[in-house]
Amino acid sequence: MAPALLSLTGIGVRRGMNHVHTDLDLVVNGGDMIVLSGANGAGKSTLLEVAAGLLPIEQGTVKHADTVVLDAEGRRKRSPLTVGLTLQKNGVLGSETVEEHLKVAMSMSGFQTETAPFLKAFNLDHRAHDLVMHLSQGQVRKVAVLAGILPAFVSPQPSLVLMDEPASGLDDASVEVLLGWLAALTQRGHGLVVCTHDERVRDQATRVVDLHGSATTEQTPARSASDVNFTTSTSRTVSAQRFGIRMHRRTMAWLNHNGMAALLTLGILLVLGDVMTQLDAFQQAGFILAPSLAAGLCGEAMVTMCREERVGAWWRGVAGSTPHAGGLPLLIGGAITLLTEASLMATITPVHVVVGAVLCAVAWHGVGFAQRSTERLARPQAVFIGLLTPVLILPYALVLDWLTR
Amino acid sequence: MKSVQPVLFLGFFGLGTTLILALMWAPSVSIDAFESPAAQRIFYWHVPAAWAAFIAFGALFIGSAGWLFKRSERMWRLHVAGSEAGLATGLMTVWSGCVWGAAEWGTPWDWTDVRLNTFGLLTLLAVYVVLGRNSQPDGVESRDTFAAFGLYGFVLVPLTYIATRIWTIRHPGPVVGPGEDSSINGDMGLVLLVGAVSFTIFIVGHIIASMQLTVMEQRLEQLQHQLDAGGN
Repeated sequence: MAPALLSLTGIGVRRGMNHVHTDLDLVVNGGDMIVLSGANGAGKSTLLEVAAGLLPIEQGTVKHADTVVLDAEGRRKRSPLTVGLTLQKNGVLGSETVEEHLKVAMSMSGFQTETAPFLKAFNLDHRAHDLVMHLSQGQVRKVAVLAGILPAFVSPQPSLVLMDEPASGLDDASVEVLLGWLAALTQRGHGLVVCTHDERVRDQATRVVDLHGSATTEQTPARSASDVNFTTSTSRTVSAQRFGIRMHRRTMAWLNHNGMAALLTLGILLVLGDVMTQLDAFQQAGFILAPSLAAGLCGEAMVTMCREERVGAWWRGVAGSTPHAGGLPLLIGGAITLLTEASLMATITPVHVVVGAVLCAVAWHGVGFAQRSTERLARPQAVFIGLLTPVLILPYALVLDWLTR
Repeated sequence: MKSVQPVLFLGFFGLGTTLILALMWAPSVSIDAFESPAAQRIFYWHVPAAWAAFIAFGALFIGSAGWLFKRSERMWRLHVAGSEAGLATGLMTVWSGCVWGAAEWGTPWDWTDVRLNTFGLLTLLAVYVVLGRNSQPDGVESRDTFAAFGLYGFVLVPLTYIATRIWTIRHPGPVVGPGEDSSINGDMGLVLLVGAVSFTIFIVGHIIASMQLTVMEQRLEQLQHQLDAGGN
């Protein structure tokens, strides 16, 4: 017998200081559509996010197939299943195109298909190549719903689909289309967990779990599956690094967030005039490497960008990591150091360029790590990560000392 | 709170006594040994403040570990108290050190000195933890995040302690305790001892008072939740 797609065992979880769930069990097999119902504050979204591995738990374990993806000790593992995820927030960056986001979602399964038929069903086919920021809220919601179900449709293996209020913001015609797709997914052996207040979606469930009273009701889905025909092809997974670099290039976030700090630092050094000849080797190295350090100390722009519509949470749920600049800081740090040395000195020293590249990358990702460590907080933007950046000044001084020995 | 008032009063009295003794009674030092003999008197405040800061950061470490591994409310209160006490005494140490450094070394800070920088980082960590915690609603996620910083940041404490024993760059080596240059005359040692005892009593009283204050804040929060729910 195949293992359950999702097993929540003895789950205890807190939001703030409140115990939202205590000793809760839930099993989802292929072909199940579980609807979580209950009043506001019953913990539906919390349980869904626990199932996606997005929230820490105080007790119990979360398993996808036979793999423990989350336990009460804080240990995490990437899900072996394809996970389709639609959160209450849409999880889509405004700088992505519609088709791009859907291809990224599908790539997590290792397969893809033409998005046109699905977009057409949602009256979005004419928007396939538009940036999400140009869509209405209802249209963006449709994109988020498609990003939740398409990975399961293209996956040849049973997948897990987790959706929080998928019908919210959809017009009646789109809800009807969605219901047909949900039925088609269960018919294909995928497991679905849906939080909803919408009775039409609830009537589609094979099991309704009332979190308020802990009652479970088995039922027969009201609507039959839509006829969904498409062909799939293999697809390379879009990694968090690849996506992060793509967004950096498209939005020029690297320039706005990091590059400007470096250029301003260089500008200030140039204002001082021709002082380099009066400095010793240590001081010269300090001047040359200062702009690349300044760029790195600004941290990772993707962390801030991914707060938009909980994009970071969506990426963690489907890919296990959040978008980042990857090796881009090496390139930027090297270029900045090259520019600085060319501006301040008569000769260019390759070692300085390499050290500048590494310094920028270490500072960039170090500050980025500190930024990501506070993403779980209710108000991450209110925390002063900058207070921790002086930790890099002493290593900077040691690098200068080593360079000029 | 009343039970800790005598301790705090004694601590404040001790701090005041230390100040008076340092400024009026402690022996002057030789112009051959110090660039600014008058500024050397800051020593009687600076060293005990640093000692008290280590006690506070120790409380922060124990409280953080207790929360992370045992989910103990009392340990969380110790984390809160330790971070606030560490912030206060850390700033006292850094500020007094900068004033003395400006007079003695001609510069308030040296970015290449390991002790200065590690202690400065400890103080910045305390600032980060206190400000960060106050910017968030109380919850398991924020407690875990800041307790983790309190736990791992403690690695700076032994580093800053041994820094002057391994690298004597700008900050002088130990004058009390094990070390080649450890020597201090009777009257100086007496004032330093009064300072150390006073700061210890003060910081212990501060930590206890802070923990009691946190209990009252939590009780107030509970009562507010009851009112929100329409309870009595």
